[in-house]
Amino acid sequence: MNQRDLELLSAYLDGQLKPSESAHLESRLNSDPQLASVLTDLRATRNLLRKLPARKAPRNFTLTRKMVGQNPPLPRAYPWFRFASALATLLLFFSFGVNTVGRQMASKAPVFGMGGGGGASEESTELFSAQEAPAAPAAATEAPILETGPMPTQMSTEAADAARIVDTPVAKNAGETENAVTADQVQSSAPLVSSTWQIALAVIAIGGMLFMVLVRQISARRWK
Amino acid sequence: MNEQALIQDAQGGNLDAFNTLILHYQDSVFNTALRILGDEDQAADASQEAFISAFKSISSFRGGSFKGWLMRTVTNACYDELRRQKRRPTTPLEPDTEDGEEMDSPRWLADPNMTPDQKAEADEVEHAIQHCLNNLPLEFKTVVVMADIQGMDYTEVAASIRVPLGTIKSRLARARLRLRECLQGFAELLPASYRLEDGINVS
Repeated sequence: MNQRDLELLSAYLDGQLKPSESAHLESRLNSDPQLASVLTDLRATRNLLRKLPARKAPRNFTLTRKMVGQNPPLPRAYPWFRFASALATLLLFFSFGVNTVGRQMASKAPVFGMGGGGGASEESTELFSAQEAPAAPAAATEAPILETGPMPTQMSTEAADAARIVDTPVAKNAGETENAVTADQVQSSAPLVSSTWQIALAVIAIGGMLFMVLVRQISARRWK
Repeated sequence: MNEQALIQDAQGGNLDAFNTLILHYQDSVFNTALRILGDEDQAADASQEAFISAFKSISSFRGGSFKGWLMRTVTNACYDELRRQKRRPTTPLEPDTEDGEEMDSPRWLADPNMTPDQKAEADEVEHAIQHCLNNLPLEFKTVVVMADIQGMDYTEVAASIRVPLGTIKSRLARARLRLRECLQGFAELLPASYRLEDGINVS
């Protein structure tokens, strides 16, 4: 038996042949017992398959919204709140970054001689040292005199002179310059983005997030 | 059940409508998966995957036989499962006997409403058929499951697996022949009315 006959018999079994093909095959079946035997076998095989017990599904395969990734419908304003919250968060981090960089720049400025404040500071330090230097030997030379004990009045006069050195105009100048430098440093280390703005951004970011969580919960509850 | 209306609702995202369709077709889908895969747990997983996939792609359904469309989805899910098995072979899920050996007959799958004799007979026949189905090439098995077990007509099967009608006829004939040859090895298990005659030689 050839492949073509097998396909004809199988299709005949299912009533899939044209009337003319069926009539021709039936005449062959009447005269060819082997062909008829194959048809009987194929029919028995098909009946076996058809009699195979149909199993009931072991459980329901119904889907939940979670399984198909469906989300509850959200209000139209929701994306705007999400955008605002995300933007506020970004700006907040940006402001922290800007302030940190600004502070670092301010602290590095004197080292690189940037700005008048830095120069004045160095100058004043030198001046201050120059004025203090004579006072120290004066005090040192006085110490042996104190130990030997002679001329207590002279000692007190010299000590008073040494102490007075600090009040000279040069020393006063140095003191003023130092004060100016400190003020400059304070001014330059002031944050570029004020804390008021940062608090406002934080409020928008956190408030937006809380709003989104709340809206999601309400929507999910309503959806159920 | 107004199938067309339910399909349209499901295409609009109505999950309840789709779940009604699932309840109607789940036995057919599960049986198809069971006969292709030969394992109840894997068939249940493939059926679930098929329904999830069907819901997600239901907008692509353009009319025709919804059952045929679902069958295509479940056969694809079965092919995926078989590919996974090839990549990561696992031990069979058939339960062991008290001696620790695998059960020869899947009695654990049987319908509890049958009498013991009927159950024993059905078990033997079912096991023999499933064994022979498992030995068929996948493309033959898919066609024979759809046509002879699910009772789909040739055009429905052709549309479902997207192959020409002539290919369906050829695959079905060859699948039946192979099954017949395989089932001869289980002749003593088969009821007298299903006994097959010996010897078909196809050239």
